[in-house]
Amino acid sequence: MKLNAKDLASGALLILIAAVGLWLNEDHALGSARRMGPGYMPMLVFWILMGLGVLVVVLSLFSGPDPLQRWTGLESGMLVLAVVVGTAAWWISPLFGSFFESTYNGVGFGMLVGLLVMCWAAGWRLIGYINAAMCAFSLLLEKGGLMIALIATIFICALAEPEHRQRPLGVLGVTIFLLALCWWVFIKQLDIRVAVWPNQY
Amino acid sequence: MDLLANLAHGFGVALSFTNVTFALVGALIGTAIGVLPGIGPVATISLLLPITFGQPATTAIIMLAGIYYGAQYGGSTTAILLNLPGEISSVVTTLEGYKMARNGRAGAALATAALASFFAGTVATVVVAGSGPLLTSVALSFGPADYFSLMLLGLIISAVLAQGSVTKAIGMVTLGVALGLVGTDVQTGQQRFTFGVPELSDGISFVALAMGMFGIAEIILNLERPEARSVLKTKVGSLWLTKEEFHRAIPSVLRGTAVGTVLGILPGGGASLSSFGSYMMERKVSKGRHLFGTGAIEGVAGPESANNAAAQTSFIPLLTLGIPSNAVMALMVGALIIQGIQPGPRMVEAQPDLFWGLICSMWIGNVMLLVINLPMIGMWVKLLQVPYKFLYPAILVFCSIGAYSVNNNVFDVYTTVVFSIVGYIFNKLKMEPAPLLIGFVLGPMMEEHLRRAMLLSRGDATVFIERPISASMLAIGAIALLAMVLPNLRKGKEAAMAG
Repeated sequence: MKLNAKDLASGALLILIAAVGLWLNEDHALGSARRMGPGYMPMLVFWILMGLGVLVVVLSLFSGPDPLQRWTGLESGMLVLAVVVGTAAWWISPLFGSFFESTYNGVGFGMLVGLLVMCWAAGWRLIGYINAAMCAFSLLLEKGGLMIALIATIFICALAEPEHRQRPLGVLGVTIFLLALCWWVFIKQLDIRVAVWPNQY
Repeated sequence: MDLLANLAHGFGVALSFTNVTFALVGALIGTAIGVLPGIGPVATISLLLPITFGQPATTAIIMLAGIYYGAQYGGSTTAILLNLPGEISSVVTTLEGYKMARNGRAGAALATAALASFFAGTVATVVVAGSGPLLTSVALSFGPADYFSLMLLGLIISAVLAQGSVTKAIGMVTLGVALGLVGTDVQTGQQRFTFGVPELSDGISFVALAMGMFGIAEIILNLERPEARSVLKTKVGSLWLTKEEFHRAIPSVLRGTAVGTVLGILPGGGASLSSFGSYMMERKVSKGRHLFGTGAIEGVAGPESANNAAAQTSFIPLLTLGIPSNAVMALMVGALIIQGIQPGPRMVEAQPDLFWGLICSMWIGNVMLLVINLPMIGMWVKLLQVPYKFLYPAILVFCSIGAYSVNNNVFDVYTTVVFSIVGYIFNKLKMEPAPLLIGFVLGPMMEEHLRRAMLLSRGDATVFIERPISASMLAIGAIALLAMVLPNLRKGKEAAMAG
């Protein structure tokens, strides 16, 4: 058996997306070939995607072997836990203040918590810390201002690289340099509309 | 002499203080990221896109273009000195270039690379200037059906030339088209696949998608690999070529320029494909082919001229037809659309400043790059001493602020996070993100042309094979697909991609 597990998973992913797309597309009027409604093009695209997904799956049975990376028990467990804890954090976040009720702050908080939970497993540390850093940036930017958001972002993303933990002085240097650079580029030169310090607006 | 008048106009635009400054900024950034392994033009352009919004469209495109061809110059420096390709397009330069450096001819190899790139860039500029208006007049006779077929052809070829399985690449293109459907339907105003989220009514943010998949996902993947950066041991030495080297390099430069110019125009082509193509050609036909593997100057001159020529001619389909031929050009389309300019055949007439200004700035940029690269080579080598662990926080911070500043909304930052995770999964499953980006850009335009074509033909789909232009596009696409099914050709492609 020359199973190409990567292709098999890719094909399955395409089929899944196509199926969900076709299901969501039920809401849109198809129209006719002459006067296409909003649902016509999506219908074509998702059926083609479905067909390609099936083709990829069929071909994957012969084009291997190309196994997927194995997850350790800790990694799978932490992934599940991250989803559960992240969703829970999103649900209960309005309790921490009205800030989390509005727009996407609640979702962002859930994502941040979930990603940080993932970092418990060594294999997820890179993807976890890097993305958590961006979530922290979004959460802090509007209330805390650019500088606070940047410090948090740089600090969290530095956790992803083990060398930084051994020699934290380098991170401090990077932080000071980037704060100055971002202030000069984005505030002084481009003048993007964002608070620099807490509660400026 | 229309062309001369147009070029004069173009130089007028390109030589304005702002545009010269930004061409220089683009060339500098391009050289820097070209020198640094692990960060390429796609990631850089997507993370600098938001910065360009505040500028006029011409200035923005001039700077972004400078990054792309600047990266071709910079990429060769690390390839020659450290056997480490700064860009994918300079992978083949390592083969002969590094050998030359080991033989004590590093300076000559660097000079060859820079001069070959400059020559190719100059030729390519003339080709773009000459063929642009010509192709535009042809393109103006295109009907909606022809456009649809042309875009379909572009998608097919970009998938065929992508790395790895063609079926999966076509799947990625289709997925890109599907992602492009999200948002308000242009004709009926209905919200599609937005889940009631108001921020999605304009569609998925192009910047967030590109940054997530190419910028952030690449950081994670680069950190996963242990850093292999050797220290410079070779001395650069004299930059002058010997008479013999010069004579050997010239035919290779000419051939490389020709290969690059042609392959750059092809949809799905671009700098990397051309340098591979040129290397294969030099190994077969050049006079010094028996010296390959020992530091043959032909193996530097050919690919280096090819990648720079291609980086510039790949603008032709974008500027004349509005069709991006590779991921970098897809980003340019994004930049233009955000500026309120619809890329297409009318752009040459409606935006003469942009079209001619860009062409002339390419040549000016090439002159600057020659100066930036040759005398200042030592400075760029020093840049390599900045380890990636200090670089990635900067990339991340720029992406975050950039994503936010597009709409002054944190929603786009979260979208970037989502796409970085998606991009990471795609990479683990060996699904190429570049075709997806092209599909995402072309999808909405294809839908519009498809609807218009079908309305004009009263619902008769045979219009696509009845119109000669459209029919030939579809035929070429079908041939390209069939060719990939034939085992021999597929092996040839795999060999070419493996270098």
